[in-house]
Amino acid sequence: MKSVKVVVVGAGVVGLSTAVCIAEALPSCSVTVLAEKFSPDTTSDGAAGILLPTQFPDIPVERQRRWFRDSFDHLLTIAHSQHSSDAGVMQSSGVQIFKEVPAIKKPFWSEIVIGFRFMTDRELKRFPDHKFGQAFTTIKCECSSYLPWLEKRFKKARGQVQQRRVNDLLELSKSYDIIVNCSGLGSIKLVGDTEVYPVRGQVLKVEAPWLQHFIRDSDGCTYIYPGIKSVTLGGTRQECDGNLQVDKEDTKGILERCCRLESSVCKAKVLSQWVGLRPSRRNVRVEREVVQLHGQPVPVVHNYGHGGWGVTLAWGTALDALGLVRQYLDEI
Amino acid sequence: MRVAVIGAGVIGLSTAQSIYEQYHSIVTPLIIEVYADCFTPLTTSDGAAGFWQPYLYDKGNIQETKWNKETFDYLLSFLSSPESVKMGVFLQSGYNLCTEPCPDPSFKDIVLGFRQLTERELQLFPGYNFGWFNTALMVEGKTYLPWLTDWLQTRGVKFYHRKIGSFKELAETGADVIVNCSGIRSRELQADPELKPGRGQIVKVDAPWLKHWICTHNFTAGTYNSPYIIPGSRLVTVGGVFQLGNWNEQSNSADHKRIWENACQLEPSLKHARIVEDWSGLRPVRSKVRLERETIQSSPTPIEVIHNYGHGGFGLTIHRGCAQEAARLFGQIVEQKGKGPKARL
Repeated sequence: MKSVKVVVVGAGVVGLSTAVCIAEALPSCSVTVLAEKFSPDTTSDGAAGILLPTQFPDIPVERQRRWFRDSFDHLLTIAHSQHSSDAGVMQSSGVQIFKEVPAIKKPFWSEIVIGFRFMTDRELKRFPDHKFGQAFTTIKCECSSYLPWLEKRFKKARGQVQQRRVNDLLELSKSYDIIVNCSGLGSIKLVGDTEVYPVRGQVLKVEAPWLQHFIRDSDGCTYIYPGIKSVTLGGTRQECDGNLQVDKEDTKGILERCCRLESSVCKAKVLSQWVGLRPSRRNVRVEREVVQLHGQPVPVVHNYGHGGWGVTLAWGTALDALGLVRQYLDEI
Repeated sequence: MRVAVIGAGVIGLSTAQSIYEQYHSIVTPLIIEVYADCFTPLTTSDGAAGFWQPYLYDKGNIQETKWNKETFDYLLSFLSSPESVKMGVFLQSGYNLCTEPCPDPSFKDIVLGFRQLTERELQLFPGYNFGWFNTALMVEGKTYLPWLTDWLQTRGVKFYHRKIGSFKELAETGADVIVNCSGIRSRELQADPELKPGRGQIVKVDAPWLKHWICTHNFTAGTYNSPYIIPGSRLVTVGGVFQLGNWNEQSNSADHKRIWENACQLEPSLKHARIVEDWSGLRPVRSKVRLERETIQSSPTPIEVIHNYGHGGFGLTIHRGCAQEAARLFGQIVEQKGKGPKARL
């Protein structure tokens, strides 16, 4: 039986996760990852990698819950295994705090993270500007380690990688049977998706090894995420801003806001700064599309537009994408 | 008045601090001196992980629970200032695991966010089917003791590197009050059959992906004789051993092997941790903390001693509460000697 040739475009956390899922589950397929950027140069590499979902407005909650549950369970197993340090995956406890009491106190993912509860009054005393908070244990997945670890796993499953820029689907359709599009922001050009837009984020990495808990303001703009080698302080959410240069005003703002939440970071040594562009979309796109290219129907599976929730949803959406690839195989 | 504190572990230093805080403006002059033959980073307090947690049950010793709470609240109050970093104080959450259901621990209302463990969490720890999760404090001796030392020296407290042979020796040099914070070695100054070493051995490893402490409890094996993994600001402390009556301060390989194997079973990711060093120490174990005055008959004048020792494996946990109580006892002596505010007309 002829091997089905699958190409995955993109080597960020979504691309590699999807590639691994397909290669491991479908030995009858030969899977190739094509990307312009690999770790450590992807958007995923700069992300703190804390698993904490948002709710996309137009996707059924059950499907979003499944994505998050699959991602969480997959990473929890790794976090608690001997692979934890190699993969850069660890458990992280902390709080999400709200300046005003939210309408929904228990979000759809509260049963999926571990030990979800509301903060006690005593705990809230540390945050005089905030009236409500949620405490829970989640996972931190550091892509600078996780992506190379995934790539090893991918190659073990006989996957192949190639570093090159993909300009259009047509060139791919000549060499591959199924195209899996995990190109993030690249989808703007690659598939002409005008709904995708960058949301600029800047972060600082500081040395504060005494910090063991994450603190996130519910507005998503101020957060402190202790990691394996450093603590990520953030951030910004600048829509349609493609500036990849570190902005001094943003640095100042981030330090001030984080310092207000956790005074011990005020004097912490800044190790590095980084800017990334979240590949945002109103809803993440995980679906099949048969694209007509020069009169030929080309099976495409889309898995992009995860915004700031790539790490959070990568494995779950990858499994979903695998299901869509399976559908194509059944139809062949 | 001259106060001579024997011992420069967390108990000695914090007691000197409390006495200074409460009496330096009441008793003038107030000369405080710390005598020890062992200073940070070589004291028992330095080797400990620095994890604030009392034994699970106080067995009716509510006084100790009160002192533990006082210490927790005191340390917690520093968290809102950057001073906490210099003190080596920070929050850390984690798991207390038991092999069978057991009553809530004495500290459940003292720590933050205390709750039972969920099924899912227990699945992470095969062999344990019950336990609790809470946020507690870390107070790392290797940072805290230098901070205390600096605090004291800035305020004129003098330090003397000297082994004290007897209370009388200090009394003869003119000390009005002797504060005995000599820990396990108090027996060299005064017989106390209740004071015994609770030998502990730990392995310090580099495993910065661990951010939760894990403490297991085995009621047959006894406190601290069950594995524990306590991440710190730089290294992770892995234990536990509790050998009552063993005076050996050398680390031994049999204990190391057992500690390490048990810990790796509890936390598989430790397999890849770099082992940095072993350490052994003697917990100053006693049926209960000896925190009391003693007036020793002597000529020409009786010797006023305040004992503050026997804190077992919870010295860092209880230190502030005991230091404040010791200062209160000091206050009694001040009153008696007529050196208090009433005496000044």
